[in-house]
Amino acid sequence: MTTQAIDERRAAKRRADRHRYRDTKLAYLLLAPVVILLGIFVAWPAVYAAFLSFQDWSFYKDPQFVGGKNYVDVLTDPLFVATIGRGFLFVLMTVPPMLVLAFLFASLVVSVSRRFATVLKVSIYIPTIISSVIASIVFVLIYTYDGGILNAVLAVFHIDPVAWIGDPAWALLSVAVPAVWLGMGITSLIMVAAMVDIPTEYYEAAAMEGAGWWQKTFYITMPQMKNVFLYLLITGFVAAIQQFELPLVMTQGGPLDSTTLPNLFIFNHFRNDVNVGYSIAAALLLFVVLGSVSALVFKFINSERLVD
Amino acid sequence: MKTDTQRTRRVVMAALGGITAVGLLAGCGSSTPGQAAGDGGDSSGKTTIEFWHRTFTPPENAWYKDIVKRFNASQDKIVVKDTEIPADAWDQKMKAAQAAGKAPDIYTHSGSIQDAVNAGQLYDLGKVVDTSKLDEIIDSAKSVSEIGGTYYAYPLLQEAQTVLFWNKDMLSKAGVDTDKGPATWDDLLADCAKIQPTLAQGQYCISPASDAITFAWSTVGQQYNFAGHTALTDDWKSPDIDNAAYRDLMSKYKELWDKGYMPKQALAAYVEGKDFGQKKVAFKVSGSWMMSEIGSDYPDLLTKTGIGAFPNASNADGRTATTLGNFKWVIDAKSKHADAAGKFLEWSLAGDPQNLVPFFVNTQFTKVPVRKSVQEAVAKDEAAAKAPWSSVITNDIAPDAIPEPTYPWDVSLAVGTAMESVMKGAASPDDAIKTADAAIQKVIQSQDLPSKAPKK
Repeated sequence: MTTQAIDERRAAKRRADRHRYRDTKLAYLLLAPVVILLGIFVAWPAVYAAFLSFQDWSFYKDPQFVGGKNYVDVLTDPLFVATIGRGFLFVLMTVPPMLVLAFLFASLVVSVSRRFATVLKVSIYIPTIISSVIASIVFVLIYTYDGGILNAVLAVFHIDPVAWIGDPAWALLSVAVPAVWLGMGITSLIMVAAMVDIPTEYYEAAAMEGAGWWQKTFYITMPQMKNVFLYLLITGFVAAIQQFELPLVMTQGGPLDSTTLPNLFIFNHFRNDVNVGYSIAAALLLFVVLGSVSALVFKFINSERLVD
Repeated sequence: MKTDTQRTRRVVMAALGGITAVGLLAGCGSSTPGQAAGDGGDSSGKTTIEFWHRTFTPPENAWYKDIVKRFNASQDKIVVKDTEIPADAWDQKMKAAQAAGKAPDIYTHSGSIQDAVNAGQLYDLGKVVDTSKLDEIIDSAKSVSEIGGTYYAYPLLQEAQTVLFWNKDMLSKAGVDTDKGPATWDDLLADCAKIQPTLAQGQYCISPASDAITFAWSTVGQQYNFAGHTALTDDWKSPDIDNAAYRDLMSKYKELWDKGYMPKQALAAYVEGKDFGQKKVAFKVSGSWMMSEIGSDYPDLLTKTGIGAFPNASNADGRTATTLGNFKWVIDAKSKHADAAGKFLEWSLAGDPQNLVPFFVNTQFTKVPVRKSVQEAVAKDEAAAKAPWSSVITNDIAPDAIPEPTYPWDVSLAVGTAMESVMKGAASPDDAIKTADAAIQKVIQSQDLPSKAPKK
């Protein structure tokens, strides 16, 4: 009797499972292309890179195990430490100004007529579709010491020409400007979308209470957009610290390494070093830095402070 | 009926999934440019080899194209496929090809071959090129092509990397001697003091090296000129830059910078003559190759251009202020067709001198051949008489120039960074030298340089 009951229950479970998991095979099959591609292009290279970071390898001779030497070399290299610090400085130079400008721009877009808003949206999005290499070249022309537009404008006000990308004091800022310009489009559009989503009743109620633009912005718009701000903060941070093409094309990391951002530093080592161990170790360490900061911000996002 | 539809749908979905996977993977395996041509053989029994060379000046690029074409026409067993790579893309393209095991069979190589040989990247030329041909390489070029009695590279040319050019019109306008360049740094600074008031806006007295990387490779001769040695002791055990001579050299550049004799942002790269050609500078420091650019791109300036050795330190004692750069051809150690690559190299560089004459003539006699027979053939060319600067380069500058350093690049870069820091006022000479000293010390330790020092 008992055995029969158990058997029946098992059979029932099997039927249910068959019903529940009847698409399992198909699901695996459909996932296969992506899993295989990720395996080949992400998982395996990551594992292999971790393996190679403990070796001296020049592509021609067999890799030689050197223990943690590459990591010690990277961590004790003042240039690597400086380059990470510079990455954070670049984030400070680009992300906050971009968020503020995009916010102001989005506020403008939602307050004008629909037709004019479209014109504004299209014009702010144009830089996003321009290749960063082209943008770099355009900005190099603008920054040209002799004959560049910027110095020509300064000359009108009798200001001496400035070596924008030749002077270590100005170079990083000069690279940050096109970075903000390129990133403004998508940031602004995301903010516009977030603003449009805020129920108009809030504003109507506030208006009836006599609230002005500042009050509406501080007490309604900004709190309602908190999640969007945090999303833009994270993506902006990751994109800025990984910025590579702008300094590569505009300054090649100079003058005096003042624009050598982390990825360019790693790239230069990969390009110049005979052995690749150092560059791989540096890349993995950058991955750790990026991962830690992103994890911290994500923790912040998931914290209770954000529950409305 | 319902079951049938479901089954059909499932089959279709499965097929689609499979096709997508296969399609994506097949897409990934497609051929890439620069890939070595399979086993290099085709049905007609011809061997195809890949040859990569950088973009140089227009006459050089034309010679490279021509020599490949003529070699391919001269025989029917080997086909050389040549690819011109922009100079600034060279390093990453080559590195990517090496990483993928698809480096070209034969390619151009600049600078020291020491690191590449240590890493096992270069093929022993003695195995594929006739010994008598290798023996033809003149002594001054041997140090860049052989290590420990084994040849790994065949030089095409030698050229002075630091030469002073001047615009005779601009100098005479300021009352400065146009026949001879300034002999010492003091003379140069005095000339600039005279020239500066005569310049229009946007014009400068001189355009020298101005960034760390260019300083690193182009001022090794100047370091030797000032100090009598370069940045490492002979045994490669310690840095050798914490001395008055290095401080003096840096202070000279700082003076050019502070007095506004040079632009605060380079108007053109060190290796190119655009700023000089556009008459934006009275003096230009570059390699001897710049003369061929003037010849091809700014012919009206050719007769108005003066050329001479770079100014000396006041205590130079006749030491040179330039290194002798070079471009060599090397065969990749992993090449499956080293024999064919060797034949191409032998025919082009080590064969009939007439194959090389156009190269040296069209580059305005600004480079020095590395074989006596080629030097003689070039000297016999009619145009040689019309190129008075060629004797300045060949007789005054090249003979006592020192070869490029064989120590690692990071050592040179530490010095270059110090020079730029001091020049731009970003660091005091003491601090900059201290930083460079520490950086070189780190290279010595991490790369165990004493064990790699050249044997006397």
